[in-house]
Amino acid sequence: MNRNAGFLSFGVVLGAAVTLAAPQTLAYLSPAAQAAASDTYRQLNLFGDVFDKIRNDYVEKPDESKLIEAAINGMLSSLDPHSSYMDAKSYKDMQVQTKGEFGGLGIEVTQEDGLIKVVTPIDDTPAAKAGILSGDIITAIDDTPTQGMTLDQAVEKMRGAINSPVKLKIVRGPKKDVKDVTVVRDLIRVQSVRSHVEGGDVGYIRITQFTEQTGDGLKEAMDKLKTEIPADKFKGYVLDLRNNPGGLLDQSIAVVNSFIDRGEIVSTRGRTPDETQRFDARPGGDLSGGKPLVVLINGGSASASEIVSGALQDHKRATLIGTRSFGKGSVQTIMPLGQDGALRLTTARYYTPSGRSIQAKGIEPDYKVLEDVPADLKGKDDMKGEASLKGHLANGEEDTSASQAYVPPEEKDDKQLKAAIGLLHGEKPAQAAAADTGAAKPAVQTGKADGSQAPAPADSSKPN
Amino acid sequence: MARGISYLVVGILAGAALTGISHGVVQVATANGASGVPLFTEVFNKVRTNYAEKPDDDKLVRGAIDGMLASLDPHSTYFDPKALQDFQTSMKGEEFGGLGLEVMMDDGLVKVVSPIDDTPAARAGLLTGDMITRIDDTPVKGLTLKEAVDRMRGPAKSSVRLLVQRGSGKDAREFTIVREIIHVQSVRSHLEGGDIGYIRITQFNQEAYDGVRKAFDHFRSDPGEAKLKGYILDLRNNPGGLLNQAVEITNAFVDGGEIVSTRGRDADNRQTYSARSGVNLSQGKPVVVLINGGSASASEIVSGALQDLKRATLIGSRSFGKGSVQTILPLGEEGALKLTTARYFTPSGRSIQAKGIEPDIPVAENIPDDLKGKVSSLGEASLVGHLKNGTEEAKGSDAYVPPDKTKDTQLQAAINLLHGAKPEALKTAPATVTSQ
Repeated sequence: MNRNAGFLSFGVVLGAAVTLAAPQTLAYLSPAAQAAASDTYRQLNLFGDVFDKIRNDYVEKPDESKLIEAAINGMLSSLDPHSSYMDAKSYKDMQVQTKGEFGGLGIEVTQEDGLIKVVTPIDDTPAAKAGILSGDIITAIDDTPTQGMTLDQAVEKMRGAINSPVKLKIVRGPKKDVKDVTVVRDLIRVQSVRSHVEGGDVGYIRITQFTEQTGDGLKEAMDKLKTEIPADKFKGYVLDLRNNPGGLLDQSIAVVNSFIDRGEIVSTRGRTPDETQRFDARPGGDLSGGKPLVVLINGGSASASEIVSGALQDHKRATLIGTRSFGKGSVQTIMPLGQDGALRLTTARYYTPSGRSIQAKGIEPDYKVLEDVPADLKGKDDMKGEASLKGHLANGEEDTSASQAYVPPEEKDDKQLKAAIGLLHGEKPAQAAAADTGAAKPAVQTGKADGSQAPAPADSSKPN
Repeated sequence: MARGISYLVVGILAGAALTGISHGVVQVATANGASGVPLFTEVFNKVRTNYAEKPDDDKLVRGAIDGMLASLDPHSTYFDPKALQDFQTSMKGEEFGGLGLEVMMDDGLVKVVSPIDDTPAARAGLLTGDMITRIDDTPVKGLTLKEAVDRMRGPAKSSVRLLVQRGSGKDAREFTIVREIIHVQSVRSHLEGGDIGYIRITQFNQEAYDGVRKAFDHFRSDPGEAKLKGYILDLRNNPGGLLNQAVEITNAFVDGGEIVSTRGRDADNRQTYSARSGVNLSQGKPVVVLINGGSASASEIVSGALQDLKRATLIGSRSFGKGSVQTILPLGEEGALKLTTARYFTPSGRSIQAKGIEPDIPVAENIPDDLKGKVSSLGEASLVGHLKNGTEEAKGSDAYVPPDKTKDTQLQAAINLLHGAKPEALKTAPATVTSQ
């Protein structure tokens, strides 16, 4: 495995997460080498033959790069659902997403009735300093009307090189006052960690995805919580990983290490035994002072989230509350191709400290607690997990049933969070179904079931 | 064009669906480094070396080829050696070891529609209407038609025992019949009402033209030229086949003129097929062609040419709309590629791609309630990735032919027209069964 320079990354349910590996030597096969004809080269020759015939004889002039891309996608789709080809654009988007930083203004925006609306300016960013307010409608960016743009297009236009200016036309308030604001872009960090004090004595930490910023963000959050809650009153932490689709392996290791001081966190195994890698906690990494910990998971908690919750469960360091996690137990490596595109390839499976693979099974919470789902969302709130994805890596007895992935927008309605706080106060949670707790014993033996790709975590606003 | 050893094929099955993978998003590759085949090779090698499990090279390349072809049109596909062999067999004309019976399912039993002349079944004395109740020791009740047929087929010279009920008294008889190689005719013909030559082509395989020629020979002696009012050429639900057969068969009705032209990507890839004189077998008698939503490609070449040349009146419903030509490009021991290499144009220069051919006299069949909605063909324009042909594409057309010919409205309209009925009357009037 050419892994020296490669980062390990966990794909997300939705194509987020991963980082770049250093460019690798390209290994082309010369035509002569192909002629040297082992079975593999016979196969490559067949491919080359078909490609040439299409190029020469197809009724219309084919776009050759599209053909090759279709071929690569066709080949990768014969593997598992997490191996894919990224063209230059999607590779760049992925890098921005995993880096967790970009040149921009520092506002979260959403789209409402076709209009681009500011959800909130982020503290200490150019947007906040320029006086942009929640609720402002952005009607033009650099004199281009936003009417007709998608949210992505608008975000793309607002992002740009640090220190470059961007002109926004803003409509504000009931009187629809129009303002022109020029903002100079700066480096914006996406907060992947948010935290606050719950009820005066519980430190609540939510990780939305595992980016390059996550480890540092968690440390900052825990430091802050320790200043806000007196040590003698501090009952413990709630680590919320619900609908967190995953991200970078090293960041998930850093997160686990913030709660334990020793022992194995995770191991990865490639095709051959010499590719096994074990990641252990660094002594001195634990920032939690041994305070009790509850981890919240649901059907939308995948890969890096499952490494964290699996490790903390195996170490008996945390109690897991919520619903069964997604079940993505594989590791993807990003391999750059040429100068622009990249291959995202499943290169290994990972195993929790006790040696279990959660692939296509998921992690069962210690206490299963269901949220009340509003009538209009019923049926849409369930996540079909890894076991339902076509072509997923097989793993013995799998669990194809859907798992709930709904988090109420209002904290007062959030039964899983309430159960977590209650447990930290010594109240045992009321379980949804007694049978479903403790060690995972998935009941259903399955083959490959058809299933659609899991939906995106429901976060429609975009930082920018 | 690498067309040396290749067959020219105009589609095989109306539904000739794509094999393999369909993928949603087609992205634009802009790799500045490796591109083309080297880029593919690089990815292939990375997958082989690094994938979490040992991949199957054959599957990888097959996935790539299928993916690439699926990004083209729906008629381009890869044949592995087995699929190629099946394809070639079907172009040669279907052959199997069997008895020589046409059968259908009736009330849970297999009913003999007709024994085929000169086959073991005919020689053993099986008759139209016989009900087969047991095959060897297996009761037919509970079997599907296909299961029953599979049991009756077998190697030549092997024998099979049939228990048969015959007539109103349901007399049971047992036949032991020795199987032979049965050759399925792609052309069937008979005399309709004593004065019309009816020719049905089920597929344009390598024997289609010979079959048509034999039919003409037959009509010349029975009923003889003087009595013959005209011909019905039934191309309904005929999915197509070989281009040269379509050209030859059209030529059996015309003396001169262009039949079809094919155009590839470049101007010099144009080929025109014209009628030779002296091979018209139809004696200038009137011709009615029956088409429907299941009439595709080679069928559309024939009906389009006969329509443009004003040689035939087309009756039925709009045809499928497959206006492209596929070429079989051999890949050595690895099978072959069926690739769309050209579009074809009727003599007047029109492409019927994604449009179909409109009949001169549209006549609909009465579809039984239980089949409604199940017997229309969606047509080329509904296939994902079909070659575009302007903005006016047409989707969907009926493709039902009643098994009982007295209820076959389109056939009856054709007969009436040849007997002198006015075309206007045929469009609206319900089927009138002519006296025979």
